[in-house]
Amino acid sequence: MAAGVAAWLPFARAAAIGWMPVASTPMPLPPQEKRRTKDGLLVLNVSGTRFQTWRDTLERYPDTLLGSTERDFFFHEETNEFFFDRDPDIFRHILNFYRTGKLHYPRQECIAAYDEELAFFGIVPEIIGDCCYEDYKDRRRENQERIQDDEDIEQSNEPVPVDMSFRESMWRAFENPHTSTMALVFYYVTGFFIAVSVLANVVETVPCGTAPSRVKVMSCGERYELAFFCLDTACVMIFTVEYLLRLLVAPSRYKFVKSVMSIIDVVAIMPYYIGLVMTDNEDVSGAFVTLRVFRVFRIFKFSRHSAGLRILGYTLKSCASELGFLLFSLTMAIIIFATVMFYAEKGMSGSKFTSIPAAFWYTIVTMTTLGYGDMVPKTIMGKIFGSICSLSGVLVIALPVPVIVSNFSRIYHQSQRAEKRRAQKASKEAGQALVCKANPNFEVHHHHLLNCLEKTTNHEFVDEKTYEATCKDVTLLKQVSCSSSISSSSTHGLSSCCGRRKRKTFNVPNSNMSVGLQGSLQELSTIQIRERPLTNSRSSRSSLNAKFEETVPLNCDQPYITSAIISMPTPPGTTPEGDESTSSTDYSQANIVRVSAL
Amino acid sequence: MGLVMGTFSLQSKQVSYHKDKADDDLEMTMVCHRPEGLDQLEAQTNFSKRELQVLYRGFKNECPSGVVNEDTFKQIYSQFFPHGDASTYAHYLFNAFDTGHTGSIKFEDFVTALSILLRGSVTEKLQWTFNLYDINRDGYINKEEMTDIVRAIYDMMGKYTYPALKNDAPKQHVDAFFQKMDKNRDGVVTLDEFILSCQEDENIMRSLQLFENVI
Repeated sequence: MAAGVAAWLPFARAAAIGWMPVASTPMPLPPQEKRRTKDGLLVLNVSGTRFQTWRDTLERYPDTLLGSTERDFFFHEETNEFFFDRDPDIFRHILNFYRTGKLHYPRQECIAAYDEELAFFGIVPEIIGDCCYEDYKDRRRENQERIQDDEDIEQSNEPVPVDMSFRESMWRAFENPHTSTMALVFYYVTGFFIAVSVLANVVETVPCGTAPSRVKVMSCGERYELAFFCLDTACVMIFTVEYLLRLLVAPSRYKFVKSVMSIIDVVAIMPYYIGLVMTDNEDVSGAFVTLRVFRVFRIFKFSRHSAGLRILGYTLKSCASELGFLLFSLTMAIIIFATVMFYAEKGMSGSKFTSIPAAFWYTIVTMTTLGYGDMVPKTIMGKIFGSICSLSGVLVIALPVPVIVSNFSRIYHQSQRAEKRRAQKASKEAGQALVCKANPNFEVHHHHLLNCLEKTTNHEFVDEKTYEATCKDVTLLKQVSCSSSISSSSTHGLSSCCGRRKRKTFNVPNSNMSVGLQGSLQELSTIQIRERPLTNSRSSRSSLNAKFEETVPLNCDQPYITSAIISMPTPPGTTPEGDESTSSTDYSQANIVRVSAL
Repeated sequence: MGLVMGTFSLQSKQVSYHKDKADDDLEMTMVCHRPEGLDQLEAQTNFSKRELQVLYRGFKNECPSGVVNEDTFKQIYSQFFPHGDASTYAHYLFNAFDTGHTGSIKFEDFVTALSILLRGSVTEKLQWTFNLYDINRDGYINKEEMTDIVRAIYDMMGKYTYPALKNDAPKQHVDAFFQKMDKNRDGVVTLDEFILSCQEDENIMRSLQLFENVI
């Protein structure tokens, strides 16, 4: 797409002649044309396979090996061609990228070899087209995991690095029990006490036989009250100590307190302390008993010990909407059948179907094919509807189960994919911003075109923030309109039209101003207003501060000095080489930070 | 039951959407047009063979079928003006390029228009521009047509401009234009008035030469 649009620039510029009679102000001068190198065919010999392409095609992406002067290093004088000692099969895809603007990843190639070729030719993998991007990332992730597994095995045989602080080593011990013996011991001890605590809770309620002084059967908890109390105290002690220790050594205490595991820990030990505090009042003892239920949450503490539990919890969470929908439709069916059964059995005397909510119980029991038999219809209509209910219950319950299973697996993969895509999106856009760098020639002419439009309408492009700022402050307009005729207005227009580039996702990927560059663009747009008083100091560099946005009333006398880092494409009239030399080295910085003269 | 119906209805919706799209694409690729020979085009226009080759390669890349319909045209033109809405002006441009009123621009139309705009004489350029402004092709530019054109140009600027665009900015612009161009004050601008007025204005004359070295 990039190449295509650039090819239509002559048309867009020619069409601008349509504005000329309408404009009342003179147009800016067109940018100087570089002496154009002849468009010729280049021969690329890759390990014997000859590829040929136009020079222009390669120069669409000046940030890569083939598009820049770096390819001269591979020029072979005797045969008058460029020779690369690389894989021709993968090179085919790389050359197609220049031709079509889309980089594809072939399935049958090894991911490591492909990555190597991309790195050699200076192409960032993030610009792989959507069609192949997922596959590429999946393969890459698998490869990384394989490497990571190998490393982990190696690492676990390594001794612990000595220079970790006590806090860090404690945290490490908590999170990875197998790293040291102490951690393992602690892990098993806590696990044991969790089990003991849960078991005690369970055994407490078992009837233990009568005590000599009482008539009715007592539960074990009441009989051996002291023993159970001591056991409970011991467990809670251990849990409290463990929780406090974890809190102490956590790298981010706030994050730790917010985490699910810590909440479970707190809920597990709270009832004991509340029980200690509360008196033996009859009114509150009911509530106290309810609190004891929460002790069963200690069993969730096992999820630290079991990865399976964690996965189950996560999948339930991700499946929640499907389960909710299932519940909703089940509820609908239950209500329908309960109503029908109630009205069918209404006439019958001694009927158990006393109300519709009472009939809910019958419907649920019948639909899930439990059939307790505590409520049965006695009328004929009731029996008919009852059988319809149980038949449909079979369908309703049995059919969604595979749907839920497949939904679950689909959702699980989808959520994984969505998360992957979200994570990849940011790096993808950054990558696209890098590689789809402007053909500087194109940018220069495009800016001149936009500048002509500004001149035709006597308005300038600004970005949203500046627009709102100027709308609010009327006095600003008066101050700013001091010098309207600026000699090198083309540069001015350049800075202004770059400023608002961040608002829309510019479809022309040739632009190096894309969504990721908001910060620097913001500064640029505010420069535009401040520049108006500045007449001829094109060679001076203005200082960029965050304060630019605040200093709304312009002071025409303010000096603009010191070097600044501004991101913008080359202004017309200056050669683009200066920019490229600074950017060719560091890709991550390439389009974001460049020094340019204003 | 509700559950089953719900689940099935959910899925069927997605399927139908994809099916329609595939059919549309199939139809589009059927139309194909090849231009006249290179020699003929060279004779008809002011471009050299090489320039025609470069132009055609770009054209073919973007429109493999050989013709540009209005939507594609608007899309391409809008990519150069991302801030505002270039579709109205692109519509007028399309009509100006499509001299045969066929609804699509072939390469010959494209190249003919570019030849006038980039390599033509001043009179030819002004004539082409007059044709662009004269929306209903009646030989006169009246205020409504001019207002439409100027509004379309202002639309390309978008919302965020400095100074902020007022609603009557196009109107003022049109009034100024008519003040200059309409010599006999009859409310319309004819081709001769147009050419005469433009030749008197130095700015316009200079700006017409602006894009000569584009290719």
